[in-house]
Amino acid sequence: MTSIQKILLALLLVLLIAVPPFLGLGWQNALINVLISSLFALAFNLLNGQAGLLSFGHAAYFGVGAFAALHLMIAVEDGLFFPTPLLPLAGGLAGLVVGVVAGYFSTMRSGVYFALVTLAIAELFHSLAPHLEGTFGGEAGVSSMRMPWMGFGFGTIIEVYYLTLGWVVLCGLALWAYTRTPFGRLTLALRDNEQRVKFLGYNAHYAKVIVFAVSAMMTGVAGALLAISNETANYSLFSGSVSAQVVLQTFVGGSTVFFGPVIGATVFTLFSFLISDLTRSWLFYQGLIFVLVMLYAPTGIGGVIDHHIRNRRQLDLAKIGGPYLVALGGGILIAAGTVFLTESAEVLFGQDYAMARDGAAGGFPAYDLFGLSWSPLNPVTWLVPLVLLCGGVFILIRARRVIDRLWARKDEATTDDMTVGAGGKE
Amino acid sequence: MEFAIISTLNGVTYGLLLFMVSAGLTLIFGMMGVLNFAHASFYMLGAYVAYAVSSIFGFWTGILVAPIVVGLVGMAVERFLLPRVHAHGHAHELLLTFGLALIIEELIKLFFGDFPVNYQMPEALRFSAFEIFGTGYPFYRMFIGAVAVIMFTVLWLLLTRTRTGIVVRAAERLPQMAEALGHNIPIVFMFVFGTGAALAGLAGAVAGAFYPTNPNMGIELGVIVFVVVVVGGLGSLKGSLVASLLIGLFSSFAVGLDWSIASMFDVVGLGDWARSVGGLLTLELSSVSATIPFALMLIVLLVRPAGLMGERN
Repeated sequence: MTSIQKILLALLLVLLIAVPPFLGLGWQNALINVLISSLFALAFNLLNGQAGLLSFGHAAYFGVGAFAALHLMIAVEDGLFFPTPLLPLAGGLAGLVVGVVAGYFSTMRSGVYFALVTLAIAELFHSLAPHLEGTFGGEAGVSSMRMPWMGFGFGTIIEVYYLTLGWVVLCGLALWAYTRTPFGRLTLALRDNEQRVKFLGYNAHYAKVIVFAVSAMMTGVAGALLAISNETANYSLFSGSVSAQVVLQTFVGGSTVFFGPVIGATVFTLFSFLISDLTRSWLFYQGLIFVLVMLYAPTGIGGVIDHHIRNRRQLDLAKIGGPYLVALGGGILIAAGTVFLTESAEVLFGQDYAMARDGAAGGFPAYDLFGLSWSPLNPVTWLVPLVLLCGGVFILIRARRVIDRLWARKDEATTDDMTVGAGGKE
Repeated sequence: MEFAIISTLNGVTYGLLLFMVSAGLTLIFGMMGVLNFAHASFYMLGAYVAYAVSSIFGFWTGILVAPIVVGLVGMAVERFLLPRVHAHGHAHELLLTFGLALIIEELIKLFFGDFPVNYQMPEALRFSAFEIFGTGYPFYRMFIGAVAVIMFTVLWLLLTRTRTGIVVRAAERLPQMAEALGHNIPIVFMFVFGTGAALAGLAGAVAGAFYPTNPNMGIELGVIVFVVVVVGGLGSLKGSLVASLLIGLFSSFAVGLDWSIASMFDVVGLGDWARSVGGLLTLELSSVSATIPFALMLIVLLVRPAGLMGERN
């Protein structure tokens, strides 16, 4: 880490400590979720980015951590002495134990087969959990209460926030430190050339099991933090959508950069917090963003930023800044056109509109969108998104050409991969 | 006896339906090494296209149009989207199809709503094929099975008896060699992908009229289809037929049986002890019928990752 990065991180930490007391309860809750999903994504990416093992079943360890913490909380409620702030240890321990077993078996395979084994393990948990009343509380799940400890009541959200912040920062730094240890470097070598690692005399399988277990442990801590914050959990924590969400966040954020997943987790969690109230199609936008990032910036947001930081000395900001702004404008136009079409479709194919059509005797009455009234039969209604899309694409293509030329000029000296162009879209 | 025969019939038809979807998936994997997460979405897309078309032009047009539309979508995905991420490796191809699956599901919800649609078979097909144990057995179940059998036969003949089939099999084994001999391999790949998608679309169009058509049908079937192709052996058509029938029969039998591990302990007189322990030991087979396929898949992946009939590890 350079000194600039250290200063930025410290600044971010100060903001995370100082600002939340002045925010509303909704935002405090959203920030807790941002922190938890950040830790989840970081733990996931230890396995994916470091060891090159793509897991499609990390929900298993997340859920196990949550249930372990809840059972400990119930025990504390019943009189067991255990400091509330240390509850995530239970989640970590449970994640570690399950991770060692699951990791031992799943790392026997690699590539697609590894992904399928992890998927199968998570589905095992998901399909068994509703039937195991004692451990996972059946369909209703397990609930408990946070108990006060040493003058901290843990009754307010802000106290939970600081507890979460403490654990996430601690675990995040631990994960980062792990990547700097000799063993952490060995994991990287495993990703790049497993044969060679074996040839050097290391036991590749055991090394993978350890990485898997550490990743599962940290995932368990994240699950425990969620359990502490929600005071309840049910079997839906094991569902495929939880595993999918962390994959999405990690890759949009950038799996090649250590803090990339945090960017993805923050963007997606805040996105769902802010947008899910406005539109029912937010999952569609989320999927669209993911596919666009996969197509045009496979290294993710973090990767694009990292690429720019690496090349900052060769880049002339004054020259490239202009085209970037133009590209951003093009991206905004495309986004506006897409949003217009999506929201129109949602209205026109919705049940309310079907009823309105019945009222208008089969005609196509006008609908309200963005504070204006649009008639589906009026060509202007469809001309607006068309112009937005075509204009946006045209501008973006032109801007990209200029940007590519500027990068090519810079690349004449250094040979580096090109991951620019979609800079304006994220 | 009644239970056994009805379960067998239902299991075979469900298994054949599973095979229709998994055939395309396994074909695509065998050829391109792409595990297509969007494949079950093609199945759902087929059902919805058939629903939309059949509500205007009638049932049979819907059945005919759905595979064509879905096949074209599949070809477009293979042609325009997959090559863009190909350079970044199989993981990125997997992730791209995964993202596409999300988008297709959300698009369906956007246009048709997040609830089941009323996609029904025509009245002409709504009769019982034969009487068994006093109740009629629906003809449509036989129809689903027949479509799958015809499809498998045609596909099999196409792959083994025609020139095109030889080129496709050559492209699967040694793509570079086949290309060097002057065959247009990218086009072959595109058509195989399109055919696989079309088969899934056909399965959706046929099955959607019998089973509920809703936005979750893709995901629900998707995981089971993964189990089928893994158990059968990724890339093996015969294997996925066997595995489909196996899983189909298993799931139709399991829902009616109340065996548990505790009842097995009864044989050695430890049943009461097992029941007092509870937990996993007292789970009835009917309630874990959704779990067993995944356990089976896990065991196959760990013991014999090539599957029942796969050749390569």
